Amino acid sequence: MDMFLDTFLLDFQNRNSHHNFPSLIDYSVTETAEEDKTKKVSFLVPASQIDSFTPSPQDTKYKASILNFSLFYGKFQALRNISMDIMANKITAIIGPSGCGKSTLLRSLNRMNDLVPNIRIQGQILLEGENIYAPGVDIVGVRRRVGMVFQRPNPFPKSIYDNIAYGPRLYGMRRRALLDEIVERSLQQAALWDEVKDKLHHSGMALSGGQQQRLCIARALAVQPEMILMDEPASALDPVATLKIEELMQSLKSEYTIVIVTHNMQQAARVSDYTAFMMIDNPQNRTGVLVEYGPTAQVFTNPQNKQTEDYVTGRFG
Amino acid sequence: MPRETFERELQELKYELLILGSIVEQAVRGAVEALKLRDLDSARRIYAGDQIINEKRYEIEQNCLILIATQQPMARDLRMLAAILEVNTELERIGDYAKGICKINLMLGSEPLVKPLIDIPKMADLGLDMLHRALGAFIAGDADTARTIPNEDDQVDELYNRVYNDLLKMMFTNPEIIPRANFLIWAAHNLERLADRVTNICERTVFLATGEIIELDMAEGKVI
Repeated sequence: MDMFLDTFLLDFQNRNSHHNFPSLIDYSVTETAEEDKTKKVSFLVPASQIDSFTPSPQDTKYKASILNFSLFYGKFQALRNISMDIMANKITAIIGPSGCGKSTLLRSLNRMNDLVPNIRIQGQILLEGENIYAPGVDIVGVRRRVGMVFQRPNPFPKSIYDNIAYGPRLYGMRRRALLDEIVERSLQQAALWDEVKDKLHHSGMALSGGQQQRLCIARALAVQPEMILMDEPASALDPVATLKIEELMQSLKSEYTIVIVTHNMQQAARVSDYTAFMMIDNPQNRTGVLVEYGPTAQVFTNPQNKQTEDYVTGRFG
Repeated sequence: MPRETFERELQELKYELLILGSIVEQAVRGAVEALKLRDLDSARRIYAGDQIINEKRYEIEQNCLILIATQQPMARDLRMLAAILEVNTELERIGDYAKGICKINLMLGSEPLVKPLIDIPKMADLGLDMLHRALGAFIAGDADTARTIPNEDDQVDELYNRVYNDLLKMMFTNPEIIPRANFLIWAAHNLERLADRVTNICERTVFLATGEIIELDMAEGKVI
């Protein structure tokens, strides 16, 4: 079944009442607490192996912090002791060879992994300073604040309008005028409005692959998330559609924090501000670890870790 | 090693750069020798040969750009190609110094040198030896060697100061020789600049190996 639909349905079942989300318009991005600004970017790699990475003043605001995060699927440990901070209003790319846990880490950021049976986590993931894995946390709220876009465009078999309005309606939005406004704004932000404004009631499935993916981004934007997770968002698209998505990411980052998982290193180099390189610890365990995390320019011109160097120069992986 | 094609093309590029370096070395050595012996035929030949150096330089630049565009090099590979572009330009400019010395030789024409050339060939020997080792260090990515070579620039500067002062004294005592003595000062100046460009090559080697762009010129700010 469609992952996105799955999540929404799960959210719907978990939802206690409409009162959790009285009005979309009230959803403003809250400012990070003052003390957060003094935090340093954390690395798994021992400090001796990397030059100190001091973010510039405008980069010192964190949207999320992953703290000593480990994840197990039954007995299999998929992630070990990942610690990294996600900078607000920046694009963070996660790269690494297949099976290194990139997508698992990404899905942990909005508890999408909760859908997998026998899952167990250690450590914390803070969203604006609050642990999203703390007992009693409202998962629906987390998933509204952290949206997701998948590898293959997955519009609902509904009209373009209804695709966008789906989330807001789920959260109790009924006023037509407001929904119209949200649909237009979301499509504008996703750079799709001009192409579809005359056929809002046509099926979303009738659009081209690139347009469908932008529709999915618009759908994610409709509930005004703070952070958007993108799992290989352009890997099923042609080069022109890929560049459109990349340009779109750039235009979105002033309002949103974006985390992207990509196999395409050139894409990571083109679009991201920060890059995290993950790989498996050894062929027996196959547990994903964070090897290096730093400004994208540094990771691709002068990586501090030998394994990162081998990976970005194409000599391994 | 999954990047065999890229590796091979990068090796070829380094090899071409070494060929350019060797042509430039020969040009400088020949130009100074021709000046010393007042061999105008050789000077004419080397002067014209600068065209070959220029063409080689453009060929390397072109191949560098093709490799960047087609292979998307990253990290050390990217620094290597950026550094090759820089070193390529330095070598071409050193070639211009050989051409300049030949031009001086031709302008002197049938006039005799104001003094036998001793320090100027020494400058050339020192500078070319530095260049030769600097290129070796560059190809090997040997930052340690690259850091030490620029120290030798002081000896070249010292020789230059001596040539300059000697010729100045001669000009004072015999103003008739001013034009010819001035030519020799220019020849020495070219060789002094050659050693400075070797320092630039060494800086690129450090960049290639470490990613740091640093100044290796110890004599920076010193008035000669």
